[in-house]
Order: sequence, then C-alpha cells, then structure tokens
Amino acid sequence: MNKNLSIIVLAFLGAALLVDAAPKPVTLLNVSYDPTREFYQAYNAVFARHWKEQTGGEVTINQSHGGSGKQARSVIDGLQADVVTLALAYDIDAIAEKSGRLPADWQKKLPHNSSPYVSTLAFLVRKGNPKGIRDWNDLVRPGVSVITPNPKTSGVARWNYLAAWGYALKANNGDAAQARDFVTRLFRNVPVLDSGARGATTTFIERGIGDVLINWENELLLVTKKLNPGEYELIVPSVSILAEPTVAVVEKVAARRGTQKIAQAYLEYLYSPEGQELAAQHFYRPTLASVAERYANQFPKLTLFTIDQVFGGWKKAQETHFADGGEFDRIYQ
Amino acid sequence: MSRIHHVRRRLLVGFLAVAGFGIPAAPAADPTLQELDQKIRILERKLEIDQENAAAQTAPTVSAGSDGFAIVSADKAYQLKMHGYLQTDARFYFNDPEDKSVDTFLVRRARLIFDGRFGEDFEMRIAPDFGNNKTELQDGYLDYKPDPRVNVRMGYTKVPFGLERLQSSSETFFNETALSTALTPNSDTGLVLYGTLGKGILDYAAGVYNGVPDGASVFTDSDDAKDLVGRVFLSPFKNTGPDVLRGLSFGIAGTVGDRQGSDSNPNLPSYRTCGQQSFFNYKTSTNKASTAFADGEQVRVAPQFYYTLGSFGLLGEYILSEQEVANGKSSDSLDNSGWQLTASQVLTGESPSLKGVKPLRPYNPAKGDWGAIELALRYSELTFDDQAFDAGYADPKKSASSAEAVGVGVNWYLTCNVKLVLNYEQTTFTDGASDGDRPDEQIVIARAQFKF
Repeated sequence: MNKNLSIIVLAFLGAALLVDAAPKPVTLLNVSYDPTREFYQAYNAVFARHWKEQTGGEVTINQSHGGSGKQARSVIDGLQADVVTLALAYDIDAIAEKSGRLPADWQKKLPHNSSPYVSTLAFLVRKGNPKGIRDWNDLVRPGVSVITPNPKTSGVARWNYLAAWGYALKANNGDAAQARDFVTRLFRNVPVLDSGARGATTTFIERGIGDVLINWENELLLVTKKLNPGEYELIVPSVSILAEPTVAVVEKVAARRGTQKIAQAYLEYLYSPEGQELAAQHFYRPTLASVAERYANQFPKLTLFTIDQVFGGWKKAQETHFADGGEFDRIYQ
Repeated sequence: MSRIHHVRRRLLVGFLAVAGFGIPAAPAADPTLQELDQKIRILERKLEIDQENAAAQTAPTVSAGSDGFAIVSADKAYQLKMHGYLQTDARFYFNDPEDKSVDTFLVRRARLIFDGRFGEDFEMRIAPDFGNNKTELQDGYLDYKPDPRVNVRMGYTKVPFGLERLQSSSETFFNETALSTALTPNSDTGLVLYGTLGKGILDYAAGVYNGVPDGASVFTDSDDAKDLVGRVFLSPFKNTGPDVLRGLSFGIAGTVGDRQGSDSNPNLPSYRTCGQQSFFNYKTSTNKASTAFADGEQVRVAPQFYYTLGSFGLLGEYILSEQEVANGKSSDSLDNSGWQLTASQVLTGESPSLKGVKPLRPYNPAKGDWGAIELALRYSELTFDDQAFDAGYADPKKSASSAEAVGVGVNWYLTCNVKLVLNYEQTTFTDGASDGDRPDEQIVIARAQFKF
C-alpha cells in the first residue's frame, strides 16, 4: 500500500479513537397524552440544561401527543418511544402486555407507583353558574346538560365515569345498583358523546352546548386562569378520583438505542424539586411534599379516592366497566 | 361556526317559537328559546360528529414527507407509496497516462419505487431505474405476508445472498460495491420464502430462481435449470446479552445451480473494478475451441457478518464461487473467491447501520447543525482460480489473476434525504497486462444523492 494511503488510514483510525472519547448528542422520544404539551415543552428545556450541567452531554427531546389510548396503541404498533408519559397506568400496562417492550412490574421502578404528579377531575360551568351546579348530584338533575367524552375512546372520559361511580358508591354506602343508576342518569343528561377530550371541549366552549364540562383539573385551571379568564367558573365537587398519570422507560427501545441512562434520568428529574415546581406551575398536583405545600392554595381541597381503593385497580375497572359488554355498554344502551 | 350559520340558527329558533308555540320571538334569555337553541346546537353538533366519523372512516389520507408520498385508505388496507432516489456522480481517474479511462459526470441511478398494499396480506413493489439514460426494472414482485415469520415473494428482485449486495444502493458505505461483491448474484426472477423469527433474532430466506452468473441480473431463463438459494442471518444478542455484543449479526448464504453456456453464448461473467473498468474476462475467440463457456454446476457460499458498537461499524464477508467451465479442449471446476472488510465511524454521535445514518441534527447552519458525518475504510480482494489460466479459460495478459483494493470515504448526511459522498479507491492487480501487472486503478468518485 503506498505511503499516502497509509497516512489516510492512520488518520481514519485516529479520528475513530478521538470520536469515541467525546460525549455524544442524544435524542429521546417522549410519547405523552394530550394536555401535557405546554408542561413538557417547559420541562424538556429545563432537563436539557440540567443534563448538560451534570454530564456535559447534549440531549434533544422530541414530543408526541394524543389521546392516551391512541398513543399506547402507536407504541405497541412500533413507535420508537424511549419514554411514555400517559394518562392511565392501564395504557402502559397494555404496552407491556402486548409488545413486551417493558416489564410487567414497570410501575415499581419509580416512586409513587411511577406517578410523579397527580390530578383529578372537576367541573367547568358558564359564568355565573346559571344552573347552580355544586356537586356530582347536580349533574343528574333534569334539565342539566353534561359534557363528557365517550369512555370507550377517551382516557379522561374513563376517569370521569369512575369518579361519578365512586361518588355514588360513597353516597349510597357502597350500593353498586345505586351507583349504576346514578351513572345511568348522568349519561342520560349527556347530549353529545365526543370521541375525545378535545372534542368535548370544542362542544362546550366553541359550540356553546351543555351546562357543565367534566375534565382534567389541570386543563380547567388553565382555562379559567390563563386562556379564558372570567368567562367560565371552576366548580370543585365534594369528592373525586385521584387521577395518577404514570411514566415509564420503554426499556427495549432505550436498550436498543443506548438511551437507558438518560431516559431514566429524564423521568427521575420529574420528581426533583425543579421538576415538581414546573408541574405545579402547569397546574399538576406535585407529589413532593415541600412543593405541594407551597402550591397548596392553588389547588382546591376535596376528598380524593384512588382507583385501587374503589375499583381494585385499572385492570379490573377496565374489564368491569369499559370492555365490550361491560357496565358502560349496558348503561348507554 | 360561520356567522351565516349562527344567524340562520337564531332565525330558525325564532320561527319555531312563533309558529310552533304561538309565542312572539323574545330575547335569548327566554328559557324556551334557550332550550330550542340548545336543541338545535346539539343536533348540529351530532351531525358534525357523525360527518367527522364518517369522513374519518372513508376518507383516504394523502401524505408527503421525508419518506416520500403516500395515499392510504381510511382502514389502511389499501396503500400506494412512492419514493426513490437520484444519484449523480463524478468519476475522476488518476495515474492514467494512456487515458484508457474516461473522467466523467453521470447520473448513476434515477430510481422510482412504488410500493402498494392491497388488503391485509398482499403487497407489491415496482421500481424502474432511469440512470445512465437507460430504463431498467430493478424490482418487480408480489408479496404475500400473512405473518412476519412466513412470507412469500414472487417476481424479480435481489437474490438473498451477498450482505453488501442486499443493501440498498442508497445506503452502502461506498459509492460502488467491493471487489468481492462481484462474485454475488444481483437480481433474478423466482419464488422465495422468507421471514423473521424469534423477535427479530433470525432472518431467513429460501428460494428458487432462474439462476444468474456472478454479478449479473437476468429477467428470463435460457434453460430449464434453476438455482436454489438459502440464507440465514442471526442477531442472537439483539434483545438480551451483554451490551458489547448487542450489535453483532452474522450468517451464511449459499446458492446451488446449473449454468449452461456454449461457444456462441458463454453465459460466464466478467468482473469490474469499482471504477467500472473490466479487469477479468473469460476467453472468447474466433477459434471456438478456445472460447470458455459455463458447463455445469455453480455453487456459491458466503459467510458474512456485521457488527456495531456505539458509533463504530464493521462489515465483513467472504465469498466462494465455484463454477464448472469448459472450452473445446477441457473442462474444469474453477474456484474464484473474494472477501472484504469495511469499517465505518460516525463522527457526530449517531450509530452506523446497514441502512445508513439518520442525522440527529439535520443540516441547519443558522443553528450550528451540520448533519452527520461518517468515515469509511474498506479492503477487498478478488482471486481467480489458477486453473482458469493454466487451462486456457482466461488470458493472463488480458485478465488479472487477482485484484486488491483499498478505499477510504467520507459520507456526509446533511439530512435524511440528502447525502454527499467522496471516495478514493486504489486497486492493484496481479497479471492482466501484456508486460506483467495491469496498472493500478486510482479513482475518486464523488456523489450527490437525494432520497425520498
């Protein structure tokens, strides 16, 4: 081999050695549910700064948003998410079961059952609250029109349904027949069933239909405090369900892409004081006590029950209420 | 909602109030009017939702993006996708005092690829190429794909044999394939069973084809004999195992067939350098007894591997091609062999792959992003059986008995659609000239590629 070619080959080997020593830029894909857009836009910038300070490395986080169930199906079908941050643990369970991309015990990998922030459901009514809506039992009054999406297709709609059912159980000493009757009467007052939360918001706000919209507390706080202040009122029911959006590293994808360490750090940082502060600023209830205390006045006080306490977990709730032929199908007939 | 729509609704509500209830139209605060207003809004919204659902269920989607263009039916059962690539090259030879090779710009490939899906399990591909001002079909086949583990393909496509040959021309590490790849069959027409087992750990293919000489592509057969082809390629540590082995894949491929030629139609290959200069031909002569032709069984075997670790990649394959050859005087089985090692290193942090590099930071100088850069280094060799010369099937004064090539290259992936490539390759020969060894070929090939 001639001398010039030898020099080129040596230069190639030298460059190869130098390159492997340098920190490499990384991208992550975070597949999330619909309302978290603004929160993760802010969080991703903060985390990228934190990662650079800690490791000198650069990270770019790409986001995907949509209905929680739809996002889970996309990941099952092959969307290469490094992490998922979805509305329901059940949706991440479905990814684990149907694709095997994360283990069945994924929820134990992070604190608080992998739920860095929580939320609940509340009511949005028109200015002046013309129908005098104060609690769940007002939603079944004749003449009250309730807007909620279809629980067969929407994640928040399932939370809404379970919150109503849970309220009725508590109000009737655990009588399931009474709870069924209550939810039946509630859905009789639902004039339009949109397929998702965004459609339901359109129906209520843009089309002017209905007297009350049931939705995520964080969404309704955003509407009343930032987007449409003064036009609507937030009504907090006496009791509601603790909605626990969950997060997980999609381990098989992260392992293949070599992003396990940074993906884990990305989710762990949600639990840090900075991550919790950001969550609270975006109207998610923080789980870190010190931050929760500082933002206590921002969140209405109400009694919250968990899905485990009342329904025995998501799997049982899904099978009993939302599977084909389940309670909702019988109610809505 | 439009203003006209809003006004129409208010008029309708008022009319109903007067006509239906005998009540004079009243301000919107009137409860009856409000009820009617809500009922109309609800009906309109239900209609809107029904129309949205109906449209979603029947309307096809048309999309355009970095992966090309697509028309997809609402139920995704019917799809037509169009993509392709354009490669424009500049070839410049050095150390060519007799000007035997022509420096040139050329359109190396201009390929359109149409992928269709019809129903759950049926797909097809048609891929014409217009490079070098010729029109050739590169792919034309039907797939039946009921299960990723078992698929059937029939038509004209690449033979599942050589590792580098199986890469898309738009995704190879160098602009032209290695010397050893000249021993592999190119495209052929046949029927193949193929699939992926064990969650992506094992890829296999087993097929029957018309049979083609080394490096060739043939549409129709000239005899009844057919080639059997088989290939297995394993990635045993892909999902589990130590990190250092996750990127290791290896396999073996083989072909068995019968090649029959004659002194008027030898049915034997010739072999070219990466600069597309022919350096080995079997002898043809006006004296038919001296013309070499294919005369029987051809067997090929190719162990092969690909390994990646971080931003480093290494491809290797060895190919043995054994062909029975005869002329008017004798008949022999000739073993020609070759091998290559190609190393690549991505300088910008991305991982290399057999499918190219997708830049993490696509070209955007305003943001200080320059795409991805990959260095490549290759050594390859091709050696012909001594018997080819001893028995007079080839002339050592015109055909080299062996060739060795060393190449270096830079691949600049500006975006996932645009790639610039610069290669330098030097090939040295043993024999092949009237006065000894054929002069070295030193060539620079620059390429601009647009892919969608």
